[in-house]
Amino acid sequence: MYLLRLAFASLANRRFTAFLTAFAIALSVCLLLAVERVRTEARASFAATISGTDLIVGARSGSVNLLLYSVFRIGNATNNIRWDSFQHYANDPAVKWAIPISLGDSHRGYRVMGTDASYFEHYQYGHRQNLALAQGRAFKVDPFEVVLGAEVADALHYQLGDKLVLAHGVAAISLVKHDDKPFTVVGILERTGTPVDRTLHISLGGMEAIHIDWHNGVPARGAGRISADQARNMDLTPSAITAFLVGLNSKVQTFALQRDINDFRGEPLMAILPGVALQELWGLMGTAEKALFVVSLFVVLTGLIGMLTAILTSLNERRREMAILRSVGARPIHIAGLLVLEALGLAVAGIVAGVALLYAGIALAQGYVQSNYGLYLPLAAPSDYEWALLGIILGAALLMGSIPAWRAYRQSLADGLSIHL
Amino acid sequence: MPDALIELADLSFAWPGQPPLLDIPAFTLHKGESLFLKGPSGSGKTTLLGLLGGVQTPNRGSIRLLGEEITQLKQGQRDRFRVDHTGYIFQQFNLLPFLSVRENVELPCRFSKARAQRAAQRFGSVERAATALLAQLGLQDNGLIARRADTLSIGQQQRVAAARALIGQPALVIADEPTSALDTDAREAFIHLLFEECRAAGTSLLFVSHDQSLAPLFDRSLSLAELNRAARPGGL
Repeated sequence: MYLLRLAFASLANRRFTAFLTAFAIALSVCLLLAVERVRTEARASFAATISGTDLIVGARSGSVNLLLYSVFRIGNATNNIRWDSFQHYANDPAVKWAIPISLGDSHRGYRVMGTDASYFEHYQYGHRQNLALAQGRAFKVDPFEVVLGAEVADALHYQLGDKLVLAHGVAAISLVKHDDKPFTVVGILERTGTPVDRTLHISLGGMEAIHIDWHNGVPARGAGRISADQARNMDLTPSAITAFLVGLNSKVQTFALQRDINDFRGEPLMAILPGVALQELWGLMGTAEKALFVVSLFVVLTGLIGMLTAILTSLNERRREMAILRSVGARPIHIAGLLVLEALGLAVAGIVAGVALLYAGIALAQGYVQSNYGLYLPLAAPSDYEWALLGIILGAALLMGSIPAWRAYRQSLADGLSIHL
Repeated sequence: MPDALIELADLSFAWPGQPPLLDIPAFTLHKGESLFLKGPSGSGKTTLLGLLGGVQTPNRGSIRLLGEEITQLKQGQRDRFRVDHTGYIFQQFNLLPFLSVRENVELPCRFSKARAQRAAQRFGSVERAATALLAQLGLQDNGLIARRADTLSIGQQQRVAAARALIGQPALVIADEPTSALDTDAREAFIHLLFEECRAAGTSLLFVSHDQSLAPLFDRSLSLAELNRAARPGGL
């Protein structure tokens, strides 16, 4: 096809403008695909935060709030649950397993969670994957043992056997530390891409032990203090926990048990279905996510309008080129075709460069994004959806290209063979 | 008349909303003839060439090219007819700057099968036709043929334009002030080369210029003002 050769040679003659135009398209395509990919992966990893759990139970508040603090380690519980309430439901015949969760302390910005051995056995994320230890073991009888999430260990460079001190409260800078009762790292979990990676796990006994000599939210002074060794010999059964996760023998019992928990006479409790709460939470963030998508669509539109402007501006100075082509036999339809091919060439170059940019970006940022945001961006081939997006961009470019093509068609009909300087 | 290449009869043309610009009762260009048409700018010269090229259509009258009434053809047919049978040389900057010299010469063969076939018949291939024509016009250097067209001097560019007009032996070459950018010596040399090539290919030459001094070189010389009734004060 000779027109293609002509279009390419003409573009090459204006390579600087052509390069800038294609680059603008490339950037916009890259942005759109990146937003799309992050959006898709964020949604997938969000939905994969917790699985296998049938009910999450906490003090009565909002379902999103309960989900946030029990699963995402964001925010705080408004109230605790009594230990005997937990016992009541843990022993319910419908319940297969129950994982107690006790929150409220932190270590250098990472949340500390008190739980028991059932957590390592029953907690699931992703597609029903269990937690696995990368190094060491789960905590045992000694209350001052801690198992780290992968990111905590990575970011703070902890290894097995290291000792660390927990801080009271969840503020990033805590003034009150449990420095009289240091913990020993006994295990590090495999990376999960969920908030588990950013959590320090200790036993409920440990949680009880560091607060055993506290009264009214402040540590005891002088003679009232209880040392770590003294604490080891005391009864460390907690009186309260923050929340608990429940797995049932049969899914059919979910709603019955949920109703039962919500109507519990002992204290005000609330049970939520994690899937429903996740959807509710995602619905809240969905607006921002859609806004981001719309913004990147407009960026693509801007890139294409840039191309349209560049081609339209070139038309006037290329009247001579058109007249010469007419004199050697090009018909107006050829001239129009030339401009459509030009737009197509710029768009294809932009799209190819944009996709290349995206993959280069993902390859570079993959590790960083995973460790900082817990988001795994796969270096996978474009999905059907992404192909469709690219197709739409190309179609839009073609549509845009038909505007200067139409003008050139009219222009070359009017100019004929006369050359305008 | 069997040897007539162009025949105009009772031709009249006016741009919309303007008085008639051209009114030509009769005009003939014979096959193989070289004709000097004198016309100052603004005399309707460019419009006449547009009519002959089938880019504009007359309000009245007939234009026969090689016996074909081109006013009866559709736009697309006229475009095809033009490139099949007519080569053009313009004042200057005739070439596409971003193509090589060779590609510029070959352009008409890309858009006209007839021109490509005739070029191949005479020289073996389009490529050889381009090389041969350029050589005959004094552009022999092979390195030059592959260069970008805009790296050539004006005189060289006009010879490339001539080679392009002549490739594939069109029946007619229309030259619109092709020598106005050349100095006097180069002017005559260029016209002689053009004559030689037109003769070799049996091509008629319609040479339009305001420079009367070139007129004696041609078979016949005419003034557009004599031809055009619309240009005479009072008409008729």
